[in-house]
Amino acid sequence: MALPQTELRPMGKPIGRKEDPRLIRGKGHYVDDVMLPNMLYLCIVRSPYAHARIRRIDTSAALAAPGVKLVLTGEDLAEMNLAWMPTLAGDQQMVMATGKVLFQYQEVAAVVAETRAQAEDAAQLIEVDYEPLPVVADPFQALEPDAPILREDKEKKSNHIFHWEAGDREETEALFRDAPVVVKQNVRFPRVHPAPLEPCGCVSDWDAARNKLTLYVTSQAPHVHRTVLAMVSGLPEHQIHVISPDVGGGFGNKVPVYPGYVIATVASLKLGVPVKWIETRTENIASTHFARDYHMTAEIAAREDGKVLALRVKTIADHGAFDAAADPSKFPAGLFSIVTGSYDFKAAFVEVDGVYTNKAPGGVAYRCSFRVTEASYLIERVMNILAQRLKMDPAELRLKNFIRKEQFPYHSPTGWVYDSGDYEKTLKLALERIGYEELRKEQAEKRARGELMGIGISTFTEVVGAGPAHQFDIVGIKMFDSAQIRFHPTGKVIARLGVRHQGQGHETTFAQIIAEELGLSADDVLIEEGDTDTAPYGLGTYASRSTPTAGGAAALCARRIREKARKIAAHLLEVGEDDVVWDGVAFSAKGLPGRAVSMKDVAFAAYTNVPEGMEPGLEATYYYNPPNLTFPNGAYIAVVDIDKGTGAVKVRRFLAVDDCGNVINPMVVEGQVHGGVTEGFAIAFMQDIPYDADGNCLAPNLMDYLVPTSADTPHWETDRTVTPSPHHPIGAKGVGESPNVGSPAAFVNAVVDALSPLGVEHIDMPIFPWKVWNILREHGITE
Amino acid sequence: MRTYEGEFTIEQPREKIWAFVTDPHKMGTCIPDLIELNVESETRFRSLVKVGVGPVRGKFDLTSELTVTEPGKAASLSIRGGGMGSGVDMKAQMELGDVDGGTLLKWRCDAVISGPIASLGGRLIDNEARKITEKVFANLKNALLALPDEEVAATDKTADQG
Repeated sequence: MALPQTELRPMGKPIGRKEDPRLIRGKGHYVDDVMLPNMLYLCIVRSPYAHARIRRIDTSAALAAPGVKLVLTGEDLAEMNLAWMPTLAGDQQMVMATGKVLFQYQEVAAVVAETRAQAEDAAQLIEVDYEPLPVVADPFQALEPDAPILREDKEKKSNHIFHWEAGDREETEALFRDAPVVVKQNVRFPRVHPAPLEPCGCVSDWDAARNKLTLYVTSQAPHVHRTVLAMVSGLPEHQIHVISPDVGGGFGNKVPVYPGYVIATVASLKLGVPVKWIETRTENIASTHFARDYHMTAEIAAREDGKVLALRVKTIADHGAFDAAADPSKFPAGLFSIVTGSYDFKAAFVEVDGVYTNKAPGGVAYRCSFRVTEASYLIERVMNILAQRLKMDPAELRLKNFIRKEQFPYHSPTGWVYDSGDYEKTLKLALERIGYEELRKEQAEKRARGELMGIGISTFTEVVGAGPAHQFDIVGIKMFDSAQIRFHPTGKVIARLGVRHQGQGHETTFAQIIAEELGLSADDVLIEEGDTDTAPYGLGTYASRSTPTAGGAAALCARRIREKARKIAAHLLEVGEDDVVWDGVAFSAKGLPGRAVSMKDVAFAAYTNVPEGMEPGLEATYYYNPPNLTFPNGAYIAVVDIDKGTGAVKVRRFLAVDDCGNVINPMVVEGQVHGGVTEGFAIAFMQDIPYDADGNCLAPNLMDYLVPTSADTPHWETDRTVTPSPHHPIGAKGVGESPNVGSPAAFVNAVVDALSPLGVEHIDMPIFPWKVWNILREHGITE
Repeated sequence: MRTYEGEFTIEQPREKIWAFVTDPHKMGTCIPDLIELNVESETRFRSLVKVGVGPVRGKFDLTSELTVTEPGKAASLSIRGGGMGSGVDMKAQMELGDVDGGTLLKWRCDAVISGPIASLGGRLIDNEARKITEKVFANLKNALLALPDEEVAATDKTADQG
């Protein structure tokens, strides 16, 4: 039950979401709601071929079509030196193709017309003469010596992008040499897509009279977009105003700068009127950035009693046609080296090789802190295979290998310093809540009757909150974040942050943090994000970084204000500053109960009655550079029943026990967990973007790329343990991504557990019913 | 790339069939759902055809070019073009052989289909492409059967190599 926003001391309470009345009633204001006078519409012509030379583009019929104002091709952009743009990963990507296309649905030409329908119709009239080239759709084929070289623009004549490694190779090899038990498994994390409800789009408005570009854009990182736009276009950064209005879901899809934004901006600069571009569902899935597509091989060396010794991982990462993965610049494989997870390995060695293919570019952190989902899924899957080989209970194996509470801060073999955790407590709570022992008894009885029931455990650790600026940057910009808090004279507050929420509930949770620090209610604090002309510089919202970074900034910024408020309070109470006591809602004079002033009184005085020599006003800005990342963790358990006739998997129960440190708003956390587990469920059971050998994208729509509805979605149970982060100003860790990171392995482990009597050790996601049905048929379980 | 192939026997002399399949005016009309046929030369014709795969419906503009590999015996037809942002690249090969009482026509078609028609049609595309290809040769067979003079009969075999 939600509590009213007027509640004092709101930290940790289920305060009702301030954004809900607006969003639930359809009163949100999204990019497509932006309507400006004289606005034109942009439609993009895309390549049907995955790899082809462009011989000729004939735009004459399109130019003559009704309502058409402008047609642009890659050659037009090349004249402006804008045919290519830098990616966040330090590569470059084509804005519109020149010379050749490298993936199906790549941008080839664009039409601007008075209405969207006119633009779409005219786009059909553009004739492109292609000469098809040999297609490389498979990353392993891309590495063959005779594979066609895809990127002619690169100096290095190879489809290999990068090799990256972490850990200690020699130590790991030595442990493997002498290990009594070694398990090995190839694990694929399929190519999936964040598929937000609202696709990407923008309205670009160049005002020649004011010399100012206003870009309304679906952006999780508006400041980064402004800086990149300044670098790409050459426009001075102060003449660029990026506004990210309400965002209808991001999940990492709205971190990159897409060609459509640049093309719309060029069109507006050329025409001097606003130009709107809103992509279709197919454009969203088939051309904006995908996630995962990791081909992983993991090996665990262990003792016969189940104690793990070493972990070895090799990965081929399919990055598509351009290396546009949205990772911190020095981390081409993101934070994948968190792959040792919650377990105390003596050594580990991890390698990732990035590869170009004729597929859409990407590799975004889809509700994930940069490749952490791939890592968590892998280790949780392979730990289960080890348990299966050793005929051990997977819970027992985990309890035996957990990093123990007293080992924190824990130095991992790949270089991370885990902040805090109590994995044993979290798993034990989950086992108790789900009734693990009774479920295992039930399973044994069912197995005796030939029924298929499975229990899957995932005890993941993630690493979020990028991050410490000395380690993490994006195109050189350090990954801190910021908050600015300003009191109005009547004691109300506006706070602006460098992050940009897309459903996370910042308008409520950040108001709670600030209200808690300043003795106010969440109702007193207005949160504003997404406007680069007003908000302090920040790196945006993704990778569960908002609470670890901007959340820290908000608390410290409020404390900075409280320091000044204390001085004003001393002045009002007519006592020395050392005699002022802050009790959480008011300042009082030490030893003089009843003599107190509220923050409201102080705010009024800040504008009307400051002590002599003090600067008036009450506001502060704080740029917070966290000393470390945070390490949220959890224990998830799935219980499934399999229909022997159809192979359909029914998720009977799912319990998520999360430990995200101190909780700001338990209702918002629960909502985040529900959403993330639903996505994990979709990834485990229904989502994949396959390509055929010709490079055709075979799931570019919601008929082939499935998004679960409420009817498909099981009931989620949640609980929590609280192990505060020792270094975060309010002890919080971030939770948005834990459920997506932790849940796929629980689902898959449950299905494999159900089929383990048949000798099944692994099934690659997505677990479609036909895959299970084929296994049942092979074993004569069904006909 | 998808490959489809088949063969059938027509009780007609080889020369007569050769004359038919190498005549764009005649061969062109074997294309199913033909809206318009425009013969540009003895070896080249353009055709506008109606296409529908799954949710995608529209017209394809195709250019076909005939190449004789072995006069009187073997020829190939390359078909290129597209529409609705999609592309089609096909190479159909025909080989005629004398058999008892007629001519054996063997055909094989390699098709590359790109764009929304391939991706939106998803799993439907393979069946649909096979159906269209087979229809071309079924139409051809029917046209040959309808040829005047001699009495004709045919037996056929069709195989799909997916």
